[in-house]
Amino acid sequence: MSGSAPSPATEVYLDGIGKTFHAGRPDEVRALRTVTLRIEPGEYVSIEGPSGGGKTTLLNVVGLLERPSAGRVFWNRTSAEGLSERARARLRLTGVGFIFQRFFLIPTLTARENVEMPMRALGRPAAERRSRADELLGLVGLSGRAGAYPHQLSGGEEQRVAVARALANRPGLLLADEPTGELDRANTDSVLDLLDQAHRTTGASIVVVTHNPLVAARARRHLAIEDGQLVRDSASE
Amino acid sequence: MRGLSGGRWRLRHWRLQTALAALALAFAVSLPVLLLSVGGGVSSHELANLRSTGFEVSLSAPGEHGITGAHALVEKLAGEPNIAVASPVLSVPVDLFAGTSGPVPLLVEGVVPSAFLATLPPEEAGLFPKPLPLGDPTDLVHFDHGTYAGPSAGRILISSPIAYAHGLTVGTPVRLAATPDGVGAENFTVAGIFGVPPTLLGPTAAFAALLPLSDLQVLTGYARGPSGDVIDAADTVEVALAGSAATDPGAVSRVAASLQEQYPFYAVATQSQTVQQAERAASILTGFYFALSSIGLAVGLLFLALVLVRRVEGMRSEIAVRRAIGVPAGQIARELAGSALLLAAVGIVGGMVLAYLAIAALARFGSPTVQAAVELSVYDPTTLLLLAAAVLGLGVLSSGLATRAALRIPITETLR
Ligand SMILES: Nc1ncnc2c1ncn2[C@@H]1O[C@H](COP(=O)(O)OP(=O)(O)OP(=O)(O)O)[C@@H](O)[C@H]1O
Ligand SMILES: [Mg+2]
Repeated sequence: MSGSAPSPATEVYLDGIGKTFHAGRPDEVRALRTVTLRIEPGEYVSIEGPSGGGKTTLLNVVGLLERPSAGRVFWNRTSAEGLSERARARLRLTGVGFIFQRFFLIPTLTARENVEMPMRALGRPAAERRSRADELLGLVGLSGRAGAYPHQLSGGEEQRVAVARALANRPGLLLADEPTGELDRANTDSVLDLLDQAHRTTGASIVVVTHNPLVAARARRHLAIEDGQLVRDSASE
Repeated sequence: MRGLSGGRWRLRHWRLQTALAALALAFAVSLPVLLLSVGGGVSSHELANLRSTGFEVSLSAPGEHGITGAHALVEKLAGEPNIAVASPVLSVPVDLFAGTSGPVPLLVEGVVPSAFLATLPPEEAGLFPKPLPLGDPTDLVHFDHGTYAGPSAGRILISSPIAYAHGLTVGTPVRLAATPDGVGAENFTVAGIFGVPPTLLGPTAAFAALLPLSDLQVLTGYARGPSGDVIDAADTVEVALAGSAATDPGAVSRVAASLQEQYPFYAVATQSQTVQQAERAASILTGFYFALSSIGLAVGLLFLALVLVRRVEGMRSEIAVRRAIGVPAGQIARELAGSALLLAAVGIVGGMVLAYLAIAALARFGSPTVQAAVELSVYDPTTLLLLAAAVLGLGVLSSGLATRAALRIPITETLR
C-alpha cells in the first residue's frame, strides 16, 4: 500500500451518554439515556434494536457528529468534550470512515473523485490521491468504473465506492449505519465481505448499525439499544 | 430516493442558472460602462472645449443695449497692464438669401477682425483664413469715430456646412436681412469659408457666419441711442491676458476683479469659473451615473447571491455529507467564493462586451446627436479596472451569504 501506515485502531469510551432533542419543549425526545460503553481498539461491533431506539444517535455521538447532552466521549482516552467544531471536523476527517445507508456519494463527482474527496480535504498531493483512489477502487472491484458518475452506477457499486471513500484516509474507526439497507442479497454479501477485509487488513474498529441478522452476524460483539438504553451486550460464540 | 438527487439533471439545471446569473451580472456591468464611457466622453469633450477657449476673462451685458461704446472700451482695455487683446463680439440671428434659396436662419457673430482671432485658442483659430478677409481689420471703415456713417466693405465669412448646404463659394453674392421677410436686406459677398469644430450643440452653432461688428449692428439695428441712431455696442467683450498672466489663475482673477470694479454694470466672468461650473455639472452627472450604476450592480449582485444560495439549497445533502466526513468549513467557503469570483469575472467580461456592442449599435443606428455623443466615448482603464475590482469584491462578499447558508445546514438532520 502506498502512503502512510494505517492509523492505529481507535478505542472509544462512552461515559454516561445522554442525548435529548428539543430539551424542555413539548416535543422533547430522549434519544439516549445514560449509555456507558467501551469499544476496544479493533473490535467489530453491531448495534441492533427497534426503530427509533437511538442507534443512529449513538453512532453519531461516537463519530463526533453529535454532541451528547450528558456524559462524555473519549477517543483513545482523550475527551472530546472541549473540542471546537473545527477540531471535531478534523478528527472525523482523519479518524472516521462513515458509510451511510443511502451511500451519499457526491453526484457531480466521478467515482474516483468521490474517493479522493476526503484526501483532498486533507490537502494530499494530486498524484498520491489518485494512486490511492485507484488502489481502493481496485480493492472494491471497481477499477473499470473510476470515471463513472454515481448516476451511472448500480446501488451495490455506489456503496462499494462509498466503502472505498470511507477507507481513503486510513481511519482507525469505521462507522456504518444500515450500510446494506438498500441492497439485495448479493450486494449485501459483497459489501460485508469488503468490511471484513478492511477489518482484517487495517485493524480498524468497526461499528455497524443494522436490522439485518446477516450483517450483525459478521460482528464479534452485539449490542442492542431500546428506548435509548443499552439492553444487550453479547459476544459471538 | 436513492442517495443524492440525480447528477445529470442537476448539472444541466445549474448551467442554466449560472448562465442566467452571469447574464444578469453582465447587464448590470454594462450599464455603468455605457454610462461612464459615453457620458464621461461627452462631459470631458465639452470641458476640453471650454478649457481650450482662448480668452480668459469676459465682460458681458446681453440685452437691448449691450456693452455700449464697444470700440472705445476695447481700446481702453487693451491699454491695461496684463491685457493682450480685447475683442468685442455681438451674436445676432439674421436671415440669409442666396439666389433662390432663403430665408436661411443664420447665427452671425459681429467681430473686430483683427482682434477676434487673437482671443481664440490655436486649434480654433486655425479654422479661419488669416487674416480674416473682411476688408476692414479694425472695423473702422464703416464705423467712423462714433457714427456709423462710412460704407460697409460688404464682405461675409460663412461656415463650411452652410456653404456646402447652399452651394456658396468665395465670390458668391448673398443678401442678409434682419427678418425672414427680407425687408431691408443688404448685399454681401462671400469673402471666405471657415471650418467649424465638431460640437454637440447641434447644427445651429454650425450654421454661423462672421461679419464686422458694425455691419451686423447696422443690419440688425442692435442697440440704439435716445435719438434712434444705432450706437456702438457688443454683447460680450472677450479678453485675452498677456504672457504668464494668462496661465496663472490668481492673475486671471485679479484682472477680473479689477475689471469688475471698473465696470460694475457688466458681468465679469473668468474662464476658470465657467470651467468650474461645467466641471461641477459634469461631476454631478458622473455621480448620477454612479448612482444609477450602483442600482444596476446591486441588482446584479443580488442575483448572484441568490443563485449561490439556491445552489447551496440544492446541495444541502452533499454539503452535509462533506461536513460529516470532516471537510473544513473554510474549504466550502473558498469554493463558494471561487464560484462567485468566476461568475463575477464572466459577468464583467460579458458586461464590457455588451457595452461595447451597445455603443457600436448606437454609433450605427442612433440619431445624429446620439452618434455624435457616442463618437466621444472614452474607455478610461482606471475606471473600468475599479469597476471590475468592485464587482469581484462585492461578488465574493455576496458569496458570504451562501457560505452562511451552507454552514447552517444541520448535518445529522439532513442526512437522516
Ligand atoms: N435531530 C433530531 N431532532 C429530533 N428528534 C430526533 C433527532 N434525531 C433523532 N431524533 C429522535 O430520537 C430518537 C432516536 O432516533 P434514532 O435516529 O437514533 O433512531 P434509530 O434507532 O436509528 O431508528 P431507525 O432504526 O429508524 O433508524 C427517535 O425518536 C428520533 O425521532
Ligand atoms: Mg437509524
